[in-house]
Amino acid sequence: MRFLSYLTKIPRRFIFLAIALAVAIPLVIPIGIPVNVMPQSKRLFEAVDSLNSESKPILISCDFDPQSLPELYPMLMAITRQCYAKNIKVILMALWPQGTGMVEMALDELSTEFTKEYGVDYAFLGYKFGVAAVLLGMGENISGVFPVDYYGTPVDSLPLLRSVRNYKDISLIITLSTGDPGWRQWLLYAQSRYRARLGVGVTAVSAADVYPYVETKQVTGFLAGMKGASEYENLVQEKGYSTGIFRATQGMDAQSLGHLLIMIFIILGNVGYFYARRQK
Amino acid sequence: MNISPDPWVWLAAFLTLCVFSFLYKDNILYRFAEHLFVGVSAGYLVALTWHNQIRPNLIVPLFVEGNLLYIIPLIFALCYFGRFVPRLNHLIRLPIAYVLGWGSGVAIPAFFQRDILRQTQGTLLVPDAFARWDSGLWAVIILVGVISTLIYFFFSRERKGIIKPTANLGIIFIMLGFGASFGYTVMARISLLIGRLQFLLGDWLGIIR
Repeated sequence: MRFLSYLTKIPRRFIFLAIALAVAIPLVIPIGIPVNVMPQSKRLFEAVDSLNSESKPILISCDFDPQSLPELYPMLMAITRQCYAKNIKVILMALWPQGTGMVEMALDELSTEFTKEYGVDYAFLGYKFGVAAVLLGMGENISGVFPVDYYGTPVDSLPLLRSVRNYKDISLIITLSTGDPGWRQWLLYAQSRYRARLGVGVTAVSAADVYPYVETKQVTGFLAGMKGASEYENLVQEKGYSTGIFRATQGMDAQSLGHLLIMIFIILGNVGYFYARRQK
Repeated sequence: MNISPDPWVWLAAFLTLCVFSFLYKDNILYRFAEHLFVGVSAGYLVALTWHNQIRPNLIVPLFVEGNLLYIIPLIFALCYFGRFVPRLNHLIRLPIAYVLGWGSGVAIPAFFQRDILRQTQGTLLVPDAFARWDSGLWAVIILVGVISTLIYFFFSRERKGIIKPTANLGIIFIMLGFGASFGYTVMARISLLIGRLQFLLGDWLGIIR
């Protein structure tokens, strides 16, 4: 019984160490715990998959910074790989200044896997300050908001963007968002006002907030955290779009074991707490 | 094992370990990483503000291209500095009033559309929701959840009669919502740890791909 009273006094550092090991070991020695694909992830995948080389381009907005890289960067890679494999044209941009670095990193990594021509198959508009003004302005005239792309080239000189005036010329907007500005602003201005079709990828912290908008179909589909990224990666792999490295899938064993250990600690803490209360 | 020769990767690994060292106890390495982060962030923000906001939106159009209309935003911007002069303190109200007025005018109709109209429509029980038994069941649960939660926040009547059990049901829905949010938060934090360990074990030490 002394053991039960000890449960509420497990040293904090022991818990940290246990979680670190539970997360690190499966990264080195993968277990291969299966990942079930949630309906909302599949809906986003199918929305992209229904497009082809003749479709209007997809706009991906990277509204995140390196802090959210483990959750959102795999989404960016998986969605762009799917688009590249299907020859869907991609326009990239960012509402966060640090998002431009994420896009450059992804484009650099993908350039070894796919041969795509800048300005024809994809374009990168870069970052622009002033969220509401940017999103409302893009609803009227994208080249008015982004007269030049990230590299300083006039957007009117890029073949991909010559046929794109505003949201009506974009088949799907996907925002990979870690907070504000992010999916809420895209939903507020691009979807609610201009009826643009919107897909969302968010960090797990924000995921619970997105569900009501999925229910009402204001959001076409959404990916929640590393789990959502892993689901999307699995769908991309199943279709044979890429054989590259899928970092979210690599991390899912660690995620599952980490959760399991936290659940065990919560149960042990509660058992110890109720035992100690009965003893008083 | 294929350790990275890149000094930037080593620096990032060192700073990661400095921050992790806080888990043992507060120490000088952690404080070094923390202060470095704050300093770099502040410097980055200043450079970013100049290059992405002030220069392209004011300096270039006004002083390089000679567009005199930009004097108006310049005057508005200068009004913010009235804060530092007691006699001119009131001038700050001008730009704030403009920003609030413009922002509210743009956002309120869109908010109404996004969060009130469409969400209310989504809560209504329409025949389509009952095309399948499970979607019909979820539609009923959502309706009951919304009404009971709203009644929990209805403070104009004493909690007795039908209001009391309905408000108690609302508490259950609120707790379920908190539980889901907490679960997702745990997932997010573990994801961050996974990201750092992938960097340390992969990019730095080369133990994993």
